[in-house]
Amino acid sequence: MKGKIGIPRGMMYYELYPEWEGYFRSLNFDLITSPRTNKEILDIGIFTCVDEACLPVKIFHGHVDYLKDKVDYIFIPKITSLCKGEYNCPKILGLPDMIKHSIGNLPPVIDTEFQSYKRSSIKRAYNEIGKSLECNSSSISKAYRKALDTKDKYIDRLEAEILSNRKDIESTKLNLLILGHPYVIFDEFLNMGILNKLIDNKVNIVFPEDVEEKDVLYYSNLLPKRMFWTEGRRIVGSAFSLIDKQKIDGIIYLSSFGCGLDSVFTYIISRKAKERNIPIMELTLDEQTGEAGFNTRLEAYLDMMKWRNKNENYLSSLR
Amino acid sequence: MDNYYLGIDVGSVSTNLILIDEDNELVFKRYLRTQGKPIDIIKEGIKELSDEFGAKNILGVGATGSGRYLASIIVGADIVKNEITSHAVAALDYNSEVKTIIEIGGQDSKIIIVRDGIVVDFAMNTVCAAGTGSFLDRQALRLGIDISEFGNKALDSNNDVRIAGRCAVFAESDMIHKQQLGHNQEDIIKGLCSALVRNYLSNVGKGKEITSPILFQGGVAANKGIKASFEEELNNNVIVPKNFDVMGAIGAAILGKKKAKSQGYTNFKGVDLYKNNYGVGSIECSGCSNICEILEIKEDNKVLARYGDKCGKWSL
Repeated sequence: MKGKIGIPRGMMYYELYPEWEGYFRSLNFDLITSPRTNKEILDIGIFTCVDEACLPVKIFHGHVDYLKDKVDYIFIPKITSLCKGEYNCPKILGLPDMIKHSIGNLPPVIDTEFQSYKRSSIKRAYNEIGKSLECNSSSISKAYRKALDTKDKYIDRLEAEILSNRKDIESTKLNLLILGHPYVIFDEFLNMGILNKLIDNKVNIVFPEDVEEKDVLYYSNLLPKRMFWTEGRRIVGSAFSLIDKQKIDGIIYLSSFGCGLDSVFTYIISRKAKERNIPIMELTLDEQTGEAGFNTRLEAYLDMMKWRNKNENYLSSLR
Repeated sequence: MDNYYLGIDVGSVSTNLILIDEDNELVFKRYLRTQGKPIDIIKEGIKELSDEFGAKNILGVGATGSGRYLASIIVGADIVKNEITSHAVAALDYNSEVKTIIEIGGQDSKIIIVRDGIVVDFAMNTVCAAGTGSFLDRQALRLGIDISEFGNKALDSNNDVRIAGRCAVFAESDMIHKQQLGHNQEDIIKGLCSALVRNYLSNVGKGKEITSPILFQGGVAANKGIKASFEEELNNNVIVPKNFDVMGAIGAAILGKKKAKSQGYTNFKGVDLYKNNYGVGSIECSGCSNICEILEIKEDNKVLARYGDKCGKWSL
């Protein structure tokens, strides 16, 4: 092994990990991923990060801090965009710079810029990384192909893992769409274990990723103005599609306090949901660890859904 | 012997205990201040119930409020329900035609939209407590007025003063400025009531269709000034139910009754439970980096419940 590369379990990790894994493994590096978010990571994150950032960014700081004494490099790419003409959240763009200024005694940070929609940009970025790690050209291009060959979406893996918990629980007819950034939906500590709480309540969870790409594109193009953020295209497009096709009974939007993107998406989606009489609840997550307020809203929402459904059944039997 | 059902609502500011009979009529009601000691207050309430009623046939118990799990452990409830559902159930029992429920408590304010007897939408305040009872409490204290007089004073105002209501901190400094300008107290209080109502409508009631009949419940409904401001702002009649301050507990009792009947027994431990000693201990688990705070509730020397851990290793 050539050395240890630390991958913080946060932000873009939830989407791009397999690609990174393919690349660094092929170059014979050891990958160390920080553990799932826990209270210690949260506390350090809050302590080191600037005050105004959203909770996922703070947690990301905690993950970096966890890794910094255990690895030779930390990988925090600057992922500017994933699609042409669309960008990532400014906090993802500035992530490596924020980290370098907030956390001291870091090992070298690999902060190469990716414009992931351009093949040439990805190639250049991976080349740059490989060179800085003193790898030879042939092994770099092999690793690059390995990275791009990684077809499986990490989110699918995470979904499967979570959904495997519900095997023995019969699901009801209640289909709820869970919206939000992947780094909120799949961080169980950050979102107070909402997915398992829903599974325990026999809810059939629908994820934005369950919607086909062509539907996401079609429905997000119905907006009067093109979506600026890639993340938003998926969130809004999948919500519009499922609302339009009447495939869901309700929507729960998990937003981070202070997230500028969420404030736009929740508004657009709740207008559409209201038109079609689909109840939407926004749960805002921040540093609080007391779950009482969170659970009250969730329980009330599920009660309401069950109440509504019962009533519908009642009506249909009358007809 | 008649049958009764108990409802307990342990909130941030008040703990309410009520007893209803088979026809959902209220026969006993206690509104106690929680004062941060929920277990002692629940015991006190049960003791008062026992003193006044003796050992009646209590056949079902429901618990609600932010302390509902704790209450359920102490008294043995048949159902543990969130405040929103409980309030809706009680409101529908009071007026089956209700379409909008405004509920303002100590730290929470809620709006519940009901259509054809079912809840179709609801909202709760977010992190900010600017539109809730504790905000009013604090301002009354600052003006040196007893909270029970507060609302009536607003009714004496002829000319309300505009107070910034978006944030409790700004409202306070705005009030001070208005006082220094020489506005009289009634007008300032009226202005504060209007500010709270505006805050509620633009924050909690945002985008909701508020149609009558409108019920106003929760502790703050005692405040006539707020009620008047709601009526002005909504241009509609607002009904305050007779037992507005214990509606959550009534809803819990109704649900408890239903549950106990369907299961055929009650978990209630009996009114003598106030004689037991309840203790709470807490430990910080150091098993992993989550450092969970584990709470343990004991009845005399028996552990009743343990919770607070993420992994389930301590839960009981």
